[in-house]
Amino acid sequence: MSTIEIRGLTFTYPGAREATLRNVNVTFGEGDFIALVGNNGCGKSTLCKTLNGLIPHFIVGDMSGQVLVDGRDTKELEIGTLAAKVGYVYQDFENQIVCPTVREDASYACLNYAMKDYQEKGRKALTVCGLSSKISDYVWQLSGGQKHLLALAGMAALSPDILILDEPIAQLDPAHADGIYEVLKKLNEKYNKTIIVIEHHTEYIARYCRNVVLLKNGTVKWKLPAEEAMRRVDELQESNIFPPQVTIAANRMVKEGILPEETVLPVSIQEGKEIFGPWIKEKDQKRRNSEVKKKDEVMASFQNITVRYRSVKGEAPKILDDFSLDIRKGEKIALIGSNGAGKSTMLKLLMGLVHPESGTVKVKGKPVRNMSKEELGHTMSLVYQNPEEMFIKDSIRKDIEYAMKVRKIENYQERTEELLAMFRLSDLADRDGRLLSGGQMRRASLAIGIALNPEMLLLDEPTANLDIATRREIMRTLQMLKGITDTVIIATHDMQLVCDWAERIIVLSAGYVIADGPREQVFSDMYVRGQVGIRPPQIYDMGRGLGIVDSCFTIDDFMDHFRDRNREENREKDRGEKYA
Amino acid sequence: MHKLTENILDKLTIDYLRNQVLKNAYGNDDTVIAKLDPRVLLIWYLFFGLVPWFLNDVALLLGLFLFVVMTTRAARIAPLVLFLFCVGVFSQTGYLFIVALFFGGNAETIAPLLVMTLKVAVVSLASITVFSGLDPDRLANGMLWFGCPGQLSFSISFAYRILPVLMEEFQNILLSFRLRGNPPQKKTFIGKIRYLGYQIKMIIQSFYPLMLNTAKRSRTTVEALELRGYRYSLQNPEVKRMKLAMLRVTRQDMIFVVISIIWVAVCVAISAALQDML
Repeated sequence: MSTIEIRGLTFTYPGAREATLRNVNVTFGEGDFIALVGNNGCGKSTLCKTLNGLIPHFIVGDMSGQVLVDGRDTKELEIGTLAAKVGYVYQDFENQIVCPTVREDASYACLNYAMKDYQEKGRKALTVCGLSSKISDYVWQLSGGQKHLLALAGMAALSPDILILDEPIAQLDPAHADGIYEVLKKLNEKYNKTIIVIEHHTEYIARYCRNVVLLKNGTVKWKLPAEEAMRRVDELQESNIFPPQVTIAANRMVKEGILPEETVLPVSIQEGKEIFGPWIKEKDQKRRNSEVKKKDEVMASFQNITVRYRSVKGEAPKILDDFSLDIRKGEKIALIGSNGAGKSTMLKLLMGLVHPESGTVKVKGKPVRNMSKEELGHTMSLVYQNPEEMFIKDSIRKDIEYAMKVRKIENYQERTEELLAMFRLSDLADRDGRLLSGGQMRRASLAIGIALNPEMLLLDEPTANLDIATRREIMRTLQMLKGITDTVIIATHDMQLVCDWAERIIVLSAGYVIADGPREQVFSDMYVRGQVGIRPPQIYDMGRGLGIVDSCFTIDDFMDHFRDRNREENREKDRGEKYA
Repeated sequence: MHKLTENILDKLTIDYLRNQVLKNAYGNDDTVIAKLDPRVLLIWYLFFGLVPWFLNDVALLLGLFLFVVMTTRAARIAPLVLFLFCVGVFSQTGYLFIVALFFGGNAETIAPLLVMTLKVAVVSLASITVFSGLDPDRLANGMLWFGCPGQLSFSISFAYRILPVLMEEFQNILLSFRLRGNPPQKKTFIGKIRYLGYQIKMIIQSFYPLMLNTAKRSRTTVEALELRGYRYSLQNPEVKRMKLAMLRVTRQDMIFVVISIIWVAVCVAISAALQDML
């Protein structure tokens, strides 16, 4: 078993003016389950790359200090030797998979290091990661979550003592995210591996991790047991990490004097029940549920749609089966459901990218089939899940103006400047979109999407892969889209986005609409929740757990039940702060 | 007529092309041909890819042609590839054959053309059988056995992995152009030509973002290859031995070879008999 000791580590990338890591001192004990947290660009990934020897053996830079794995300096060890001790799963894990089939990829590293039983090792790793039924599949047949497990299996096959995962659940629905963490837990507890995760989702940290390391500006600020770490609410928020909602709620309630000063902040719903329980003032405030306002003008409609995918082998699977739905003007719709439920297919049908086997899709009363892509482009705009695919020019400015320029819209330059300013991209206008950070790329892709003032905007996973601070920023951007673009459909796994923004929620499961309505109705339906693995924000479950009758979707909703009625004005004030 | 063109245009989407390519690459790994030992097939190809060029006997070539038609069928090649094959053969020699017929050519003028067409067809179909019917990974291993460098066999295998990813990305980029672009009107004849030109320009332009995106994603791939010991495998002869250990000549291979030999022998005999008769 291995321990990692880092002593006085400083690292500067070649050409960079400032050091990325500064005088890092930390020890990772064997068999630990550690979360590495910190805001974007604080050096988390760089630190991990020093552990597996990529730094300094592969990425050359200015490095001082020592990284000791099992007491041996990584500078003196070869990458091959280190790879057998430290496994690394990238954030863009897809690019880490290099073989066409699952079986080959799992055993690839073992084969390269000439281990006689490489196939056996690969098979074993797949079994541990729960992929044994997929062993003869091609990689492209796997879903996103399964690919992630495969990348993990490919690393686990070498049976390293330490496994590092960079944001393992960023693109997954809650059910798949649980799956990944259960595998990690098993590797940690049963096989005694040290697990290091870079993670933004604090609920998972509280549930699975033992220790937390906070990195700030390239140095380790502290290393603490997970529960204690989560209670440092203010410090975490400074670094754009948002502790579990129950913890934030309790922290604010202590500050407001609702809870006593010496309260130990809860980090899970279980703890929350004991701590909040005695202080509830009112369980039913008879708050009005939000309703879907019936709007008349139908913007788009699906009529008895059946879609099959072209299959490579055998019977083509049905994605949607006799599917009907109306979308009205002015609706804010969230489309949720597990990976592969048909969300993206719905968006593609609207854009005329997929044609149904039977049935008609109409946009503004006209069948999509009879409209050209360019005509559709006037009414609707689709922002892809992967913003890189929207950058077709070599600078953001050119990308934003392209559609207006070729349509010879007057004053297109002015409008471009406006959009750049609106999305705070003016300083970056001449840079290639691909070279921006995740949040900037996402903002740029939204700006491109609304350049032509489409009446309807379709967004595919607009907050995937973003940290929580950037996600909030995207949400604020969505609030700005008032005026011409008033019909918006978002396909997403991000339940916080759904709760804060959507007026109508459509739940898809295996090609059927299994729920359609406002958030209270959808989330209170236990059947729906069980079917698709959707999970409301933690605070909602906390409220339910305490027997609160109203649905709490935000921390403020929740806190209201602990306040005196006459402090309503306080609440209004807090609302204001939230969006500030 | 309108319905028909619409139907054809519906089919000829990038999505369809993508599906055909995928089908060809991944959809036929359970055929008789795919299960053969790649080394045996490569040797088989050495015969069927070279010998026809030196034959001039119509009957013999026709016999070989029939045989490769059957192997192509057994390999379950995607329709698109077959269509391209037909276009290819026709554009090489087939059209001359028809033109000759049209202008009252007799058997003497047609015979050499027929021979040429048959030669091209036999060689092409044999190539399609081997390179398209065989799982690329096995093909790579076969070539490795014959002494091709490890980098080449890795490239084939990696291309096989990355192909679906690239095709999907290309499709999306092309779509970005289409949704945001403003094509010329296609009502008039000149408009139609302009429209076609516009489409081609768009396809060409789509390659640039594709390349840049690929360059971006390759950063992770390169690091991951290093971690997963790719460099070690090239230096270690043991790895090559382990990789090739799974290649085994089975009874099926023997049967395939025997059938091929008998078929060729029978064809030779028939053509000799025909020559005697004349």
